[in-house]
Amino acid sequence: MFRKSIVLLISVSLLLAACAPSANPTSVPTATEAPATEAVTSVPTIIEVPAKPIKLTDGLGRSIELPGSAQHIVSLTPATTEILFAIGAGAKVVGRDTFSDYPPEASSVTDIGGSMGKYNTEAIVNLKPDLVIAGGINPPELVASLESLGLKVYFLANPTTMEELYTSIKTVGSLTGDESGADNVVASMDAKAKEVDAKLAAITEKPMVYYELDATPFTAGPGTFIDLLITRAGGTNFGAKMDSAWAQISLEQLLLADPAFIILGDSAYGESPATVSARPGWDALTAVKNKMIFPFDDNLVSRPGPRLVDGLEALARLIHPEAFK
Amino acid sequence: MEIRALKIEGLTVFYGKRCALQNITLEVPRGLVMALIGPNGAGKSTLIRASSGILPLQSGKIRTNGDEFSSLTPMERARVLAVVPQAVALPPAFTAWETVLMGRTPYLNFLGQTSKTDEDIVRHALQRVNALELADRRVGELSGGEQQRILLARALAQATPILLLDEPTAHLDLQYQVALMQTICQLAHEDHLAVMIAMHDLNLAARYADSVALLVQGRLEAVGSPAEVLTPERISQAYHLPVQVVPHPFQQVPLILPGG
Amino acid sequence: MPKRFLPYMTNLGLLLAAVILSLAIGSVFISPGELWQILHSWLTHSPLPTGLETFSFIISDIRLPRTVLVLLTGAALGGSGTAYQGLFRNPLADPYLIGVASGAGLGAVLAMSIHWPYSFWGLLVVPMSAFLFAMVTVLLVYSVARVGQSVPITNLILSGVAFSAFATALTSYMIISSQGEVRRALGWLMGGASQNSWQAVLAILPYLIIGLGFLLMNGHALNLLQFGDDQAQQMGLPVLRKKTLLLLAASLATAAAVSFSGIIGFIGLIIPHVMRMWWGADYRRLLPLSIIAGGVFLILADILARTMMRPQELPVGIVTALAGAPFFLWVLRRAKNQGYW
Repeated sequence: MFRKSIVLLISVSLLLAACAPSANPTSVPTATEAPATEAVTSVPTIIEVPAKPIKLTDGLGRSIELPGSAQHIVSLTPATTEILFAIGAGAKVVGRDTFSDYPPEASSVTDIGGSMGKYNTEAIVNLKPDLVIAGGINPPELVASLESLGLKVYFLANPTTMEELYTSIKTVGSLTGDESGADNVVASMDAKAKEVDAKLAAITEKPMVYYELDATPFTAGPGTFIDLLITRAGGTNFGAKMDSAWAQISLEQLLLADPAFIILGDSAYGESPATVSARPGWDALTAVKNKMIFPFDDNLVSRPGPRLVDGLEALARLIHPEAFK
Repeated sequence: MEIRALKIEGLTVFYGKRCALQNITLEVPRGLVMALIGPNGAGKSTLIRASSGILPLQSGKIRTNGDEFSSLTPMERARVLAVVPQAVALPPAFTAWETVLMGRTPYLNFLGQTSKTDEDIVRHALQRVNALELADRRVGELSGGEQQRILLARALAQATPILLLDEPTAHLDLQYQVALMQTICQLAHEDHLAVMIAMHDLNLAARYADSVALLVQGRLEAVGSPAEVLTPERISQAYHLPVQVVPHPFQQVPLILPGG
Repeated sequence: MPKRFLPYMTNLGLLLAAVILSLAIGSVFISPGELWQILHSWLTHSPLPTGLETFSFIISDIRLPRTVLVLLTGAALGGSGTAYQGLFRNPLADPYLIGVASGAGLGAVLAMSIHWPYSFWGLLVVPMSAFLFAMVTVLLVYSVARVGQSVPITNLILSGVAFSAFATALTSYMIISSQGEVRRALGWLMGGASQNSWQAVLAILPYLIIGLGFLLMNGHALNLLQFGDDQAQQMGLPVLRKKTLLLLAASLATAAAVSFSGIIGFIGLIIPHVMRMWWGADYRRLLPLSIIAGGVFLILADILARTMMRPQELPVGIVTALAGAPFFLWVLRRAKNQGYW
């Protein structure tokens, strides 16, 4: 019996070994896909700029020095990926996390893990990046373990206001040598935001908005971008009176506040106007009776990146459609 | 100094607030088999356990050769006194051999390494209880009687001058009861051991013990030869049952018969 | 070769195979031949064959520290699981029975709720906190369960259940009311080496040496304890002292292991049973064999965790349960008629 067990164990081991060589995706896609991405983002990088050392302080308070602008970047968060592509550094992105799904070109960049907080460090090392950009959701242990492998990591702290976001975008621009691209992005974001402000200038009424993050239900509390954007979009955030940023609420509180709008940030997880109306007791809400329940792409308002102003505009159009006629 | 007897002086044991043993004084010299009798709950098992040093004493002393037992370490105690418990809930996966080998613990180094001497002693102990052929069987597969013999062998392997047994015949068939008692007596007399056995069968006690101690409700009612202790008055009072005591038809010992 | 060496040779052979597999498998397959070349050049300080420099770095800085950390963690869980089962005389005992896991979880989540400076010590706070809280929980459980001169098993279990429930509830509350550390906390709680560095290995090594070393020297004591406290003492074992020290040693090893690797279940429960079924119930053998087998099993589980859904990596605690349960049922079927406990 023992012998059989041993034989089985060794067979299993050999089977695992046999599986290994066939799955080697990390090196292949970059070789074949690189030319494609270069064709799409026609950034004029042919001009040789002399390498200028860069020195910045990152979100963890460390001084990060680069001999020149980063040319091979691994992005660990979807927001960073969006920023990189928006400022014109898309061709320099050699690796990205699993959830980076925008822009569509990002999907063809090598996936280096990231679900449940676990990144494939071997894959990152194999890509030989000259810079790894970490974001607010990455714990310091991760930064430390990547640095212990000889990688340079810049920790981009989570911004909490639009100004901080603009600074983040410009910082990324400095890191990659795309300062002008970054400035353009910031300028166009600012212009669009101000355009929305202008359209809403005459509005006096600020209806109450309940933004649902999760069906438990959870809503966005004070200090979040969602709170900020709803307010700027001419609404009053129901979650503003909660204690924490990720706040659990009760139906009772909703009934008392009786928001005019229900915006479903969790529509990607299966929530819809139909499911909300079917929840016991929810049909007493005005928003449900008036069918003012709207599915919403949460990525537009939760990723601290260039699409935040698109989120602002989308919210404004929902809350004050009359201003956009 | 050579050990001549187990001396129990003024032993008092409490279980919580209840007094389980009160002021027990007994002496069991080497070469003597003493039977502890009494109704259930009288304290026989408690006395065995307390004498082996595993119960805290309210007062009193256990001496083995002038040394107070409590001043010895468990290892030193185990070289002087061995206990044969009842054969219940034994780890079933150990073989009889391995179980008896455990009895050599007081003489092994802390890693538990055994030598040829230890193995010879174990073999000898198994032979004396007629259980050598059971050596490689797992204890879980053995009958009650066989397990009890293994435990006796284990205590013998411990090679102590004092032997305590806690109701060894309790769950045994008649032939095993008699065989066990005969073996114990033989060991006591041949090896010059001081033996104290807690038992419930009065006639077995009368037949095989040199001395009898009667415990009732934690108190020592009487101690002496079987004829002295096993009187109708004492037994009837202790067991709340009228009994008759007659001379044994074949041996020079009393025979206790229930019924007045 | 004497028959009695067979179990050790088997386990060590499996260990070697597992280590080789773990070093070979990853984003790129490094064959045993190449592994040997790399090892050879390290040992003889001679230059590497061309093309193997990257591999050498991957082995020395990524795969080898991870493999060693996983090996040590599995060994600690296998060894302490065996000790716990022996101490409690209960086949359901595992190293988390008296609160190590729940204490460690609470310590880790507490530490994660505060923003420490990014420094050498700052990065060690979470594992140190986990370790500290784990040991404090064990000590509390023990002192509550102790009754005069003895520590009854039932008391220990009940006390452990109570403290564990309390710590787990506190942990859950902290997670729910946290601002965004949820992912990090849950990732830690589900297990899996997050800091795969030589630093982590060095940090836990002393505790493992002390804890497992003590257990290995007390196989005979554990054998004696199977007969119950009374008989063990009557055969010469200082029962209270031994049980206390064994409990502390096993808890020390477990706390060190989970402080960096999170809560990995199943190993401490099942590996001792498998070893018992295959090689018998003598704790002098059971302990070293379970230590080795625990390492083997966790290495294999870790390989699965990082290859099953590439490039994603599963928390290894999920894999140990998913893969371990069928394996255990299979072993159980083969051995169910023999009284192996």
